[in-house]
Amino acid sequence: MRFPAIRSVASLASLSIFVAVGCGSPAKYVETGSPESIVSVGDVDMQDILKASSGMLESLIETGILKTAQAKPAQLVIDKVVNDTSSQFDVGELLYRMREQLVNSGQATVITTFGANAEDKTAQEQLRAQAFRQGNAVDGMPSPDFSLSGKITQVKRQAGNTQQTTYTFRLTLTNIRSGVEAWTKTVDMTKQGTKNSVGF
Amino acid sequence: MRRALRFALFAATAVLNACGSVNTTYTRTTPSATAVPTKTQVNDALTQIFLSAGEVRMFPSKGGPLEAQVDVINNGFSYRGFSYRFDWVDANGSVIPSQVSVWKTSNVPSGGSTTIRAIAPSEAATDFRLQVRRADQ
Repeated sequence: MRFPAIRSVASLASLSIFVAVGCGSPAKYVETGSPESIVSVGDVDMQDILKASSGMLESLIETGILKTAQAKPAQLVIDKVVNDTSSQFDVGELLYRMREQLVNSGQATVITTFGANAEDKTAQEQLRAQAFRQGNAVDGMPSPDFSLSGKITQVKRQAGNTQQTTYTFRLTLTNIRSGVEAWTKTVDMTKQGTKNSVGF
Repeated sequence: MRRALRFALFAATAVLNACGSVNTTYTRTTPSATAVPTKTQVNDALTQIFLSAGEVRMFPSKGGPLEAQVDVINNGFSYRGFSYRFDWVDANGSVIPSQVSVWKTSNVPSGGSTTIRAIAPSEAATDFRLQVRRADQ
């Protein structure tokens, strides 16, 4: 009498494991930044970066600041954008999306051979050598209109089990010829919840 | 009987107010100068998620490209979250691919309204397409 009971319990347990494994969602592709994406309470997600990049671009286009540049299209140099949050991600995810839009639509060009933090040191050296050979060491070098810099910060709060994090993306465009701030924009993103979820 | 009805009405109002509903006043009685006659189409999309469009405006931004604004109204009794995305199209009706067109989120309290807005990626954009979906709650 005792053994059949144990056997039925064992078979019920194995059946429930089988059902649990069978019900797990299989991997699938979702559109990047779509409402099907994973939302993390304490981390910057891809959709946050996309939203921030979109907000920055909209503001740049809306104000028409790039049209005031001496060069047509405006020449930009990308300075430091600091990630001052506990979430690890590459700020290039934000900047390259902005660059893609501005450069490919002909609204700006990005100079990668300017300053001490030049992105392309090889091209910078080549350009310097070429300018030196031609005897126009100053005129031959690029002369950008604006420098882009920024910071990403966070404010975290908790009430009981509920966590809330506000991520603030801020970028500033400085007119290199005058040294004056020409444009600045902040984009806030607040997320609240007890745990990460799928979809928003 | 009348007293009970009055009490029920008072209780219902109290409950609704307690749920974070908002009372909104509109001073404008005529359409704004930049209003575009696409309110019905936008409304059709919004009513699917129990919201409605107050006014749809489109005008050139300071920088040149168009700016679109849609007033979203929540006449329901619950707080509503939704996702939206503006896609911009050129004079030929082709979608202009851009990093500006991404899914964004917004919330409207009961009785309240919010304005969703978007800036076209370039001056080639002449019109927009709006997608909305109810947020998972």
